[in-house]
Amino acid sequence: MKKIVTLIALFVVVISSAQTQFEQGMGKAFGLWKEGKNAEASAMFERIAAAEKTSYLPNYYVALINTTSAFSEKDKTKIDLLLTKAQDALDVEMIKDQNNAELYAMQALIYTAWVVADPMTNGMKYSAKVMEAYAKGKAIDPNNPRIVFGEADYQIGGAKWSGVDTKPLCAQVDRAVELFTTFKPATPFSPKWGIERALETQKNCKK
Amino acid sequence: MKTKLFFTISLLFFTALIFAQNTISGKVVDQKGKPVAGANIYIDGTYDGATSSETGDFSFETSETGNKFIVVSFLLFETFKQEIDVANYKNQTVKLRENVNALDAVVITAGTLESGDKARVSVLKPLDIVTTAGSAGNIIAALQTLPGTQNVGEDGRLFVRGGEASETQTFVDGIRVAQPYGATTNNLPTRSRFSPFLFSGIAFSTGGYSAEYGEALSSVLLLNTQDEADHEKTDIGLMTVGLSLANTQKFKKSSVSVNMSYINLAPYQAVIPQNVDWNSPYQSLGGETVYRYNFTNGIFKFYAAFDSEKFDLNQKNVNFENPIRTDMNNNNFYLNSSYKGSFGTGWQITSGISYGYSKNKLKYNISDVDNNENAAQLKLKLQKKVSNYFKLSFGTDYFITKYNENFDDNVSITAANGYDSNIFAAYAEGDILFSKKLAMKVGLRFSNNSLLDENNIAPRASLAYKVSKSSQFSFAYGDFSQTPVVDYIKYSKYHQFESEKARHYILNYQFTKPGQTFRAEAYYKDYSNLVQYDTKDLQYNSVFNNNGYGYAKGIDLFWRDSNLYKNLEYWISYSYIDSERQYKNFPTMATPSFIANHSLSVVTKYFITDWKSQIGFTNSFSSGRPYNDPNQTQFMNGKTKSYNSLSFNWAYLLTTQKILYFSVSNILGTKNIYGYDYAKLPDPNGVYQRQAVTPTADRFFFVGFFWTISQDKKENQLKNL
Repeated sequence: MKKIVTLIALFVVVISSAQTQFEQGMGKAFGLWKEGKNAEASAMFERIAAAEKTSYLPNYYVALINTTSAFSEKDKTKIDLLLTKAQDALDVEMIKDQNNAELYAMQALIYTAWVVADPMTNGMKYSAKVMEAYAKGKAIDPNNPRIVFGEADYQIGGAKWSGVDTKPLCAQVDRAVELFTTFKPATPFSPKWGIERALETQKNCKK
Repeated sequence: MKTKLFFTISLLFFTALIFAQNTISGKVVDQKGKPVAGANIYIDGTYDGATSSETGDFSFETSETGNKFIVVSFLLFETFKQEIDVANYKNQTVKLRENVNALDAVVITAGTLESGDKARVSVLKPLDIVTTAGSAGNIIAALQTLPGTQNVGEDGRLFVRGGEASETQTFVDGIRVAQPYGATTNNLPTRSRFSPFLFSGIAFSTGGYSAEYGEALSSVLLLNTQDEADHEKTDIGLMTVGLSLANTQKFKKSSVSVNMSYINLAPYQAVIPQNVDWNSPYQSLGGETVYRYNFTNGIFKFYAAFDSEKFDLNQKNVNFENPIRTDMNNNNFYLNSSYKGSFGTGWQITSGISYGYSKNKLKYNISDVDNNENAAQLKLKLQKKVSNYFKLSFGTDYFITKYNENFDDNVSITAANGYDSNIFAAYAEGDILFSKKLAMKVGLRFSNNSLLDENNIAPRASLAYKVSKSSQFSFAYGDFSQTPVVDYIKYSKYHQFESEKARHYILNYQFTKPGQTFRAEAYYKDYSNLVQYDTKDLQYNSVFNNNGYGYAKGIDLFWRDSNLYKNLEYWISYSYIDSERQYKNFPTMATPSFIANHSLSVVTKYFITDWKSQIGFTNSFSSGRPYNDPNQTQFMNGKTKSYNSLSFNWAYLLTTQKILYFSVSNILGTKNIYGYDYAKLPDPNGVYQRQAVTPTADRFFFVGFFWTISQDKKENQLKNL
């Protein structure tokens, strides 16, 4: 009897160490990202994505890292590459699940990056798509802080030439900040970013 | 007992311990042996892997054993996958093959000017059609600012590289549009029937195009409708010349857009002095609808348009003392439905049908000319991506045209003419990518025309070579044939005609950098089998033959830049052409009257953030065009003065969704002359009198207010202007 218990216990240890392999991997990838090693972090997430087909998170972070890198990139050819990679990763998850608000927030962010890269060419085409992606996300989860904030932030960004009234948008930012503070990620690795930028936009709103 | 348990435990630990035993190492290089940094190397299905360093080196440990797959991926290259023995994979070199579909691969560009999101090198951007001063939302007018086109103001259609307007065919989603232009008559310019905002991409080929397209001697204009509606909205437009209303609804997998417009030029004609006398102003009522349905692997589109136009005017005519009255009524219907989808591995199917119906009722002086045309096209195209290096496409299409015309001079002559034409065609074409730098397209088109009782085989080929990161050369060659225009073949029951023919040779150089494009193209075009006749005017009993011929050669230059100054975009097009023909009733080789040797367009657009305004100027210049003066012995010896028109537009965003738009063409009021009409008979002094062909008015102005109502407060109609 004792023997069986021991064996089971051992198996559990081995199996649970296999489970935490995901956590270890994700933790390592986040570490690389924090160190500013974006390409390495993206590669690590890609490897996890290739091995773990059930979680949307690895591909989500591949998309997020590459999109945020595109925002700070000047070379248009590189922007194309980064955003293509982000879109490819997101597409994999979007096909699996069309009811994940975070994926729509991510999609909106990719489109926003295209607009920022070349407003004259992409502005008209992607602006509508940005708003559409946020609208779809909002329909699934009206209280997702990244969607509530992203939608307002995108319009505030365009306000200087579109002449749109920023007052209701700033109110939406205030609401987003509240949502950020009460937001509980579903798992330790689920998306929870965004409050820093929301606070910054809130500050600018008050100016 | 205890020993056994101990053994089991140690075995388990041992298994755990032999994890992370093997080291995998090596170097990633490209085909030239240069190190590739940033590649992702890993054992498939595991987390074990690394990213290659600046020197291309990588090294990592893995707990895997035995034979596993190693994967090396990097966006610019094809993913490398190989089965390895994990224990023995050290200091290996992985050579990655470049991904020929990567963004910087060579693209054949000879002859083609592209716009839209799919185009790698956009000459025109989607918004340009509507924000180019002087274009007034007319696709054709915007294309006339590109090199290779002639500005023929009294006609309004596209004239490309020495070709007549009829030598250009328009295709919507790959299917021909039989009547792409609005109704017109005697020296009144027409415009495109299509509203520009339906299209997400435009490819305008000035020669050497794919074997997929036939029945066009000079050029093809390919318009692709949007695959999806942006979102639900209602657009309202109030203009000095009419009203427009549009609505888009979106559903889960489908969307439908409807728009209606009513145009009446009466207010404009009342304000701006006119060179002709209008009995009833130009009026049109039109509607369009697009329905799209998205399947998992494809998209179905249905497009239908209807428009009805009328105008009535008196024009001076050198042959008569009093102005001659023209009363025109036109009804037009166009339907286009297509399916595009993928199946199997790497197969793509495109199929569609189009139907066009046009009915004209024209009263000219006291004569009645009524005609109607029914035209349809059926098309099927298959594409197979054999590999990243070879793509095959083949297909077939069938054109059906029925045309009837009744003439009654209300004195003595009545006549009925017409024709039925069926053309069957099939084509095959291969796209070969030898490398990222060298690409080739070879095709063959076969056609059988039942009316002309002839078969044609037309080879097409093009080649592109990239010499550096930003520049490349392309060459294109092709044979093209086209049924003679309706003016001739409506007499088919009296004469047997043959197809007219052209052969194109095009050499293209293109330089691109973000925000900058330069193109230079030299071409030579050889025309043969052109229709000739022996009478002053076309008649059923003229003697026709197909012995006409001609040539066109020239250079087109294009430069577009958005880097010079913030918020400023501009482009410059210059075309030089030398062309002569012996066709129609020309007694000798001569340059036709629609050709100007030099054409120059300068287009600028500037966005002023503080004013929330976009301001644009367009200047179009062309040198004088030839005309024939029967008072002189030499044929086509006259030359008009040069043409110049400066246009201006201003779009002002009142709020995000309300736009005020203002435009004026030919601000300077230049008195342009397109040519001269000479009297058919000399006056008593033996001199042929003449009359200048001029625009119906020297200026056109337009004020409009556009309002978009939608959930998305950012959307506006700027793109529709």
